Parts: sequence; C-alpha cells; structure tokens
Amino acid sequence: MNAIPATPLLDIRDLRKSFTSRRGWPIARTSVVKALDGVSFTVGAGEVVGVVGESGCGKSTVARVALRLQEADGGSVNFDGADVLEASKIDMRAIRRRMQMVFQDPSSSLDGRQRIVDALGEPLRVHGLASGAAVRPMVARLLDEVGLPNSALDRYPHEFSGGQRQRIGIARALALGPDLIFADEPVSALDVSVQAQILKLLETLRAERHLAFVFISHDLGVVRYFCRRVVVMYLGRVVETGPVPEIFVDPRHPYTRLLKVSSPEPDPTRAVAMTFQEGEPPSPVDPPKGCHFHPRCPLAIDRCRVESPVLRDVAPGRSVACHLAT
Amino acid sequence: MTAIPAPAATAATDGPPLIVEHLTTSIHVGSDRHDVVRDISFSIGPRETLALVGESGCGKSMTALSVMGLLPAGVASVTAGRIVVDGVDMTAAAEAKRESMRGDRIGMIFQEPMTSLNPVLPIGFQVGEALMQHHGLTRKQARARACELLERVRVPAAADRLDAYPHQFSGGMRQRVMIALALACRPRVLIADEPTTALDVTIQAQVLALLADLQEKEGLAVLLITHNLGVVASVADRVMVMYGGDVVESAPVAAFFARPTHPYSSALLAAMPRIEGEGGLQPIPGQVPTLTEMPVGCRFQSRCPLRIDRCALLPPLAAVGGDPDHRVRCWVRMDT
Repeated sequence: MNAIPATPLLDIRDLRKSFTSRRGWPIARTSVVKALDGVSFTVGAGEVVGVVGESGCGKSTVARVALRLQEADGGSVNFDGADVLEASKIDMRAIRRRMQMVFQDPSSSLDGRQRIVDALGEPLRVHGLASGAAVRPMVARLLDEVGLPNSALDRYPHEFSGGQRQRIGIARALALGPDLIFADEPVSALDVSVQAQILKLLETLRAERHLAFVFISHDLGVVRYFCRRVVVMYLGRVVETGPVPEIFVDPRHPYTRLLKVSSPEPDPTRAVAMTFQEGEPPSPVDPPKGCHFHPRCPLAIDRCRVESPVLRDVAPGRSVACHLAT
Repeated sequence: MTAIPAPAATAATDGPPLIVEHLTTSIHVGSDRHDVVRDISFSIGPRETLALVGESGCGKSMTALSVMGLLPAGVASVTAGRIVVDGVDMTAAAEAKRESMRGDRIGMIFQEPMTSLNPVLPIGFQVGEALMQHHGLTRKQARARACELLERVRVPAAADRLDAYPHQFSGGMRQRVMIALALACRPRVLIADEPTTALDVTIQAQVLALLADLQEKEGLAVLLITHNLGVVASVADRVMVMYGGDVVESAPVAAFFARPTHPYSSALLAAMPRIEGEGGLQPIPGQVPTLTEMPVGCRFQSRCPLRIDRCALLPPLAAVGGDPDHRVRCWVRMDT
C-alpha cells in the first residue's frame, strides 16, 4: 500500500496562491499572504495522504485550489491525465464527479431548509445519474452505506446530531461515485467516541470503493490512524513528506518534531514537552526570510536565515526541506 | 505600584479553596426538571488540578457554570448541594456577595477568548477593570498593574500593547490576555473551561506550560474542564470522568491511565487515535441519550458492553482495587 503507482491519480506541482487584503486607516495598506508557496505532492489511486499543519499553513487552500473553488496563481494540478487548472467548464463538470469534498462542519454546508433526500438527490439529478422516482432509492442506498436509516430521507439537517450530519456530508460526497475525496478536518468537530465511528466508516468506504483521500487535519493521532503517507506544511510550504508510521516514529524536520512533542498523548508517563518558546508564531503576511521556521527552530544556523531550503530526498519515500536534516 | 493583598491574607480558611458537596444542577423545561449534573462532590487544594472530562452534554461545563454562579437564569439552577469557595458558601450567599467573589476570589477562562473579551475596549483597560471594580484602584493604577500582568503571562512588548484591541492579537495571545484578566485579582480558584481547545498544538503546549507555572507561583486550585485525555495526562493531578451528568470514575491521574475501570472510561481511551504505537481504534457504539431519553439507573447502560439487569439501579461511586482514591460507578467493576 505504501508503494506509489507509476502515474499518480492526483499530481500537484508547484502550486501557488496568494491572497491580498487592504486594511488600515486612514491609509490602507495592501498586504499579500502567500497561502501556497510552491506546494507539490502526489496521491496514488486508492491512497490516503494526510496534509497536516497548524492554522494558516495553507492546508485547506490546497483542497480549494485543486477543486477550483478558488483559482490558483500558478503551478499545475493533474488529475488522472486531465489538467484541472486549464479545464473548461464542461470538462470541469466531469472532473468534479470524480473529485469531491467533505467539510469540517456539515451543518454549514447543508441547506437547512432542504430535506436530506433533496440535498443528496440534487447532484444525482444535475449530473443526470438519476431522475424522477429513481432518485429516492439511490439516496436511500447512499444513506445505508454511511449507516443512516431510511427514515432520514424526509428529515431536515437540524434533526441530526453532529456525527449523523457528518455521515450525510460523506454520503453527499459519495453520490457521484468519486475516485478522490478531499476531506477537510472531517472529524475535528466531533466527540472522541463519534470521531472513531466516522474514521471507521471512512476506512470501510476507502477499502470497498477503492477511494483515494487527501485528508486534511491538525490532529496527528487521527492522521496516523487513517493515512498511509503524510505531507507536513508550514506557512505555505511543504517541509516534510513521508510514509506512516516512519514520519511519526522518526520525524526529520524540526517542525514535525515540534508538532509531535506538542501533541498530548493519554499517557502521564509521556508528558508533553512544555517548551517555553517565546512570542507568537510568525504571521503568514510577513513570513521570516530564508527557512520560514528558523525563528522557532532550536537548530537554526546562519544559512537558515537567508536561504530557503528545498525539499530533497533523505530516504526512500521521504523528503525534508531543511538544510540540516539527514 | 499598588500592592494587591496576597490571597493568604484574605483566606477565610486553610481548607481547600474549592469544595463542592452533592451538587445537583437541573434544567427546567416547562414543568419538567432534568438533572444535568447529579450529586457530584469534590474538593481541590492549593496547587492542585482536578480535570473534569467527558463528551458534549456530559455536564462538565454545567458544573463549572454552577460553581461560578453563572447558570442561565430561569433555565437552569442548582437544585441541591453546596459550593464553598475560599470559605464562602456560594449557594447560600446573596447575589451581591457572589458578584464580589467572581473575578476576585474565583477566576474563569473559556475556550474562545474572543467571545469573552470586549472587542471595542483596549486590552489594558479590560485586564485592569476587575482591579478597579474589586480593589478600588484608579484608572492609572489599574493600567500599571495591567502592564505587569501582561508581562507575567509573557505577552511580548506588553507596555506597547495596552492600547491594542483583541482583534490585533493571535488566538494564543488572546488566551494569555484572558489568563491575565482571570488572575488580575489573585483568585484562589481558577476554572478553565476548554482553555486550549481552539489553539494549535504548539500554542496549546505553551499555554498549558504558562498555566502550570502561574498555578505553582500563585498556589491556585484549578478546575480544568476538557474533552482531551491527552491534556489531562499532561497537566492534571486528579481526574473525574462524567457521563450524562454523573461522575462515573474518579481517580489520581496515574491510577486512571494505568487502570481505567469504568466501561465508559476504557471505551473513551480505546476510541482515541494515538501518535505512539499501533492503535486499534475502537468506536463506542450509539450516542449519548438526550436529556428526555436518559435511562433510569446507570446512564451509560444503553451503550455498555457489560450491561446487567442490576444497571437499572444507579450504582454508587465505590472504591475499586482497594484504593480509596480510585472510585467507580459501576456494579460490574466495583469491589464487592
């Protein structure tokens, strides 16, 4: 499962996206945030790739740009031979059938006044997969697949708990029979016991439908459970990629190490490293020169302050963007 | 510089700063009464951290609001039990007395500092406000003290940021400001309700370290409300697991993680994905019953693999493994 197929299903290369904002009074100033600063990674058919990093690192922007919910500034996204960023509107419809998204908060992505049968039936109708009386049984089958009873069909989103709503969000993503799902923090808003139910469901669906996932999360434990390979991002750049569990057992980038030691585990003998790093993490508006991580890095040398490290291979399947990593 | 009286000088007793005895809190819907916290008792000593853990709706936040006297009026109220803060019986005290205790003897920090900070007032004023209110400091004195407090919680360039507004701070810095505000009057008790849940993990580690450091220096009794067992393992001394308003297990942290005994506790730990080691993730089937559907007796019975007929009666919180500090509310697991 760790082997990367010769031609990946999804190939993201040097993806760039900046956001500008004008703020301030009386003289407004324009600031530019490089949300994606040359991001590259691949996802094989049926492969689950985790994208981890903290708020503002650009992990959600990757999904939005790859699905063309937002337009990229540069780079390329290749999905099963099709150039996604250059695709026409008609081509994009076909691509979207095969690339779907699951959001963190399904209640904000479901229409509160639409019954479940209509919410899930809509994509089927729009894409001409079912019409008239054929819609209802198809939606019922989808609900069954995600573990919801038939009685859910005629109910409204507010009648469901958070975990059930996430099941509906997953059913909707499955409606068109995709090959790849971008899941953006799909279990972050859920309680632990429900989170485990949803992760088990995703695991079953992955195996049965041979689905590939780009699984965006800040929770290393969840990523370790569900993903086979991980991409670590920091302020718009990829700093480390590698297979699970190696990347967690032996993280090579100092930032990946910091993430690992900061994540509390339910084991009092393994206390979190309570580092007294001072100050705030740098703002993505004005990232530090050279390696973005150098102000927080215990190993930083002069070179790190001026020269931005490139992602290079350090072991089979493992790459790190750090001057000092071996 | 105005000296704020040290907590010891005003302490009414040498006992634990926070004592909760047989607390029951209920929500009133029409003429129906639903108990969301049932008969919970604990005390927290100086420099001690008690963690209340559980999932949404287990009653942990309602316990915190009961202690603070901040339950929504007309909707929920304390229907039985006693809450003693620094020697003062909060449940018997008049509202004016409780008002003077809140923010002075007992501080609170919440999950999302942005909703507790006033967006249109500068930080320096908000941190100093409690000192003007409770200790009669002038604006100028309060401002000087606010600056010290912000330095204490390690806000960089504190003096320059007294006039900044909450939106100009990052999430982690806002939580530091909240901590400064909560500790301004040097309370003896701090209630922290999911204080790091909204923060990134590296920032979470910083804020937890800061809290532990301040707790040690100030001798605070901390009631930590969290759903994160990893945070519990890192910072708490004792833990109480809640389910459906009941405490189902109570233990020192080491004993709890070594021998989680209530079926819900062990299920919760087995459901957590871990970074270290291979974890076979075990979901807990079903979901927490709603208030109106709560089963009679043990409230976990509808999801429990060990259920027996006797579970229709509520088990007592009884000692387990011969350890009087380790208690469990389960007919199957308790010592017989």
